[in-house]
Amino acid sequence: MSHACTLNVNGMSYPLQLDAGRTLLTVLRGELGLTGAKEGCDDSECGACMVLVDGRPVNSCSYLALQADGREITTVEGLAKNGELHPLQAAFLDEGGVQCGFCTPGMLISAEALLRQNPKPSEDEVRLALGGNLCRCTGYQKIAKAVLAAAQGATA
Amino acid sequence: MATAAQTKFIRPDGKDKVTGLGRYTADLTMTGMLHACFRYADHAHARIRSIDTAKARALPGVFCILTQDDVPDVRYGPFVEDRTLFARDVVRYEGEVVAGVAATTPEIAREAAALIEVDYEPLPVVSDVEAALAEGATLVHDGWSGYSASDEVVRDGNDASRSTIVKGDVDAALAAADAVVKERYVADMSHAVPIEPHAALAQWQGDKVTVWSSTQVPYIARSGVATTLQIPESHVRIIVPHLGGGFGGKCEFHYEAHVAALARATGRPVRLVFSRSEEFIAPDHRREGQVIELETGVMKDGTLVARRGRLILDNGAYSADAPFFPQLAAMHAVGPYRIPNVSVDASLAYTNTTPSGSVRAPTAPQACWAVEQHMDSVAAAIGMDPVELRRRNILKEGDTTATNQVLEPIGAAETLERAVELIGYGKDLPEDEAIGVGCGWWPSFGGPSGAFVKLNGDGSGTIITGAQECGTGAVMALPILVAEELGMRPEDFSILAQDTDAGGWDAGASGSQTTFNNGRAVIEAAREVRAQLLELAEEELEASREDIELVEGTARVKGSPTKSVPITKLAETAQGDRLLLGKGSGSPPPSPEVDASGCTGRLGLETFAAPTFITHAVRVRVDRETGVCRVLEVAASHDCGVILNPVGAEGQVEGGVVMGIGMAMLEGSIVGEDGRQRNPHLLDYKLQTAADAPPISIAFVDAPSPYGGPKGSKGTGEPPCVPTPGAVGNAIAQVTGARVHRLPMTPERVWAASHGVDA
Repeated sequence: MSHACTLNVNGMSYPLQLDAGRTLLTVLRGELGLTGAKEGCDDSECGACMVLVDGRPVNSCSYLALQADGREITTVEGLAKNGELHPLQAAFLDEGGVQCGFCTPGMLISAEALLRQNPKPSEDEVRLALGGNLCRCTGYQKIAKAVLAAAQGATA
Repeated sequence: MATAAQTKFIRPDGKDKVTGLGRYTADLTMTGMLHACFRYADHAHARIRSIDTAKARALPGVFCILTQDDVPDVRYGPFVEDRTLFARDVVRYEGEVVAGVAATTPEIAREAAALIEVDYEPLPVVSDVEAALAEGATLVHDGWSGYSASDEVVRDGNDASRSTIVKGDVDAALAAADAVVKERYVADMSHAVPIEPHAALAQWQGDKVTVWSSTQVPYIARSGVATTLQIPESHVRIIVPHLGGGFGGKCEFHYEAHVAALARATGRPVRLVFSRSEEFIAPDHRREGQVIELETGVMKDGTLVARRGRLILDNGAYSADAPFFPQLAAMHAVGPYRIPNVSVDASLAYTNTTPSGSVRAPTAPQACWAVEQHMDSVAAAIGMDPVELRRRNILKEGDTTATNQVLEPIGAAETLERAVELIGYGKDLPEDEAIGVGCGWWPSFGGPSGAFVKLNGDGSGTIITGAQECGTGAVMALPILVAEELGMRPEDFSILAQDTDAGGWDAGASGSQTTFNNGRAVIEAAREVRAQLLELAEEELEASREDIELVEGTARVKGSPTKSVPITKLAETAQGDRLLLGKGSGSPPPSPEVDASGCTGRLGLETFAAPTFITHAVRVRVDRETGVCRVLEVAASHDCGVILNPVGAEGQVEGGVVMGIGMAMLEGSIVGEDGRQRNPHLLDYKLQTAADAPPISIAFVDAPSPYGGPKGSKGTGEPPCVPTPGAVGNAIAQVTGARVHRLPMTPERVWAASHGVDA
């Protein structure tokens, strides 16, 4: 049975009719065409599907789309504004924090959630905040550096 | 002018990746696209009596179901042709594909796959490598002797490939040694685990098929589709969108032909996207388990005199690219040391488990984990510091390897010194901490590779290459090399890659070979363009080409900087009638000579061309009550020749070290006697997280190789995961006083070993 709902994603409202079992990830990637969030495990283990719901990072593979009805959702596509990269995005590129890029959207979302809560985190706080996002390429060193650099730039 | 190594590296594909706009294979859709799902074997070993697809076909939304009866009856495999696209008569592991379904939604495809009725006669399951090689063992392939295979592969029943490395007289040397140490180690199966699971999308136009695939090796995938579907290679085009990592897990040809066959049968585009558990179970590229027995003779002064080794590697049910593993593992069983008397015997045993294949530095981290712990045991036997033992035996220029390869100038000893210096070896530590050291080596793989470079009318350039970017940045860094040749900026170049209809043949993102081989190709192509530019500049500047240099985007007369013409102007002039186009492949560097007489199963790894040397030193804390270990700090020193792209090279080392820590402590598949993996998902197969990963300090040792790639560079991608598990094992043993003989060294195993139980 399907239900009417409205998903507010990256400042855009989408009226939808959805089956109760649909995950937020499949709706974002399917109906909405926002493929930035990835499916890496479907188990809430890898974090590649992470999006912000009302500012909190959630694994959208394990979050029902209907639960997000009326809430504010930010995906990686919503980070850059007016063609300008978000400071985190710029820092990831500058520090070499991107390799294959499959974990990058989730990493950026986790980092954005952290910096909204804690604009000047320590390295340990950064590493803990990224603990739900698996990366197989970088060994996390340059990702952690990038988040710290973005935080530094924002408060300088 | 900035040289390659001084150019700050911002990846050309980076913006696509950070904005989330870049498309990976699973992000692609097409009008009318169907979804594929496989029915896997219900047993690890069974004879198929019958397959009934009637109920599945009757499900609304199902377009077609294919089995081996519906595709050409072709056996394939890179060394041994031991497998078919779908199971024929017998299933040999849990992830073997029995049938493929195409349906309107993934849910319907899954439901239909479950409705296929397969009647089996279960057969005895071979799940243990030693049992597989025992007298009278059930044969995983009872028709093995009838399979076509490369002549060099030595096969016998369940032994799919046997290799020996022999030098000197081991028996005599062991008898004469001051001390002999004999040990046995067992490594469990582990996995590549790229964060992007496999995906493929196929579409036919007439009799030609395009497959978008998450492969590391598009040209090998193209051959695989052509071979198994019996169509010309020219009818197959493989395009790789952004690739979400591979680490070997996406090497070889995997599911492109299955999806192409489904697309042909339905007349629709068909897409397959793997779940994480399929990623663990199905592809023939997991890291193999090993049983490693080592016996070493040493003199009181630390001179190693003999090494005997017996290794059994788990091939799994089919051979993939693993037949060269025994020889490679045998070379690692000797390690980067001078040992005059060597006898290593290595076998590759068929079992009813997921097939093995190259995963980042295949065979090396496991074998090196055993050998490096063994080295510490040897040091203990003569009361010598383990670093000192390595110092006295590590390979140097002019030494000969076990196959009598005379070594060029190498930086092995320097990596040892730099790593122990960086970590402060010998410093005072709390009693629950220790520093462990591991050394390793890895060959470079020279081979053919092609590229084109062209300059466009607006002065921009395009690099058209067969090379495959898997995340390392190797392909993304090619513009640095080209720009340097042409006096232009890297950002002046775009890259057209990952399309088999565009670039020249390349072995793909495998064997740490992209920069090594394709770097050579793009430099050669750029030099052709350089010559064409100089010819145009001669006319413009009325000077001879010997006097003209290409600098800062201009062609100018040396010593007269005002006499110059912008390259953009030359390109504009050339447009239309004089193409600025270069091609390159270049002969691979020469291979060093070896004398491997007496060695069997020679598949090319008796030569370690342009070898990379590595030392990792790790500081580890062990909680003796729980067995929980934490790596606190890593110092990694690498001789990977001349570094062409520091950011890229550091990224490889950092990623490889953390992968190695995961292998050391957590990553292992638990396989039941039924041949099934018990933990095929990330809930129970844990990777290291950002919170686990320690700080890593890196020291590169510049030892240019005459057998190397561009400028004396060597392969860089695989070596960083080689010595970490061994170094961690040594640190654990230092703290607990007990060696863990099983990989991964989980808390249970560390606890058990330190309580006198070898788990």
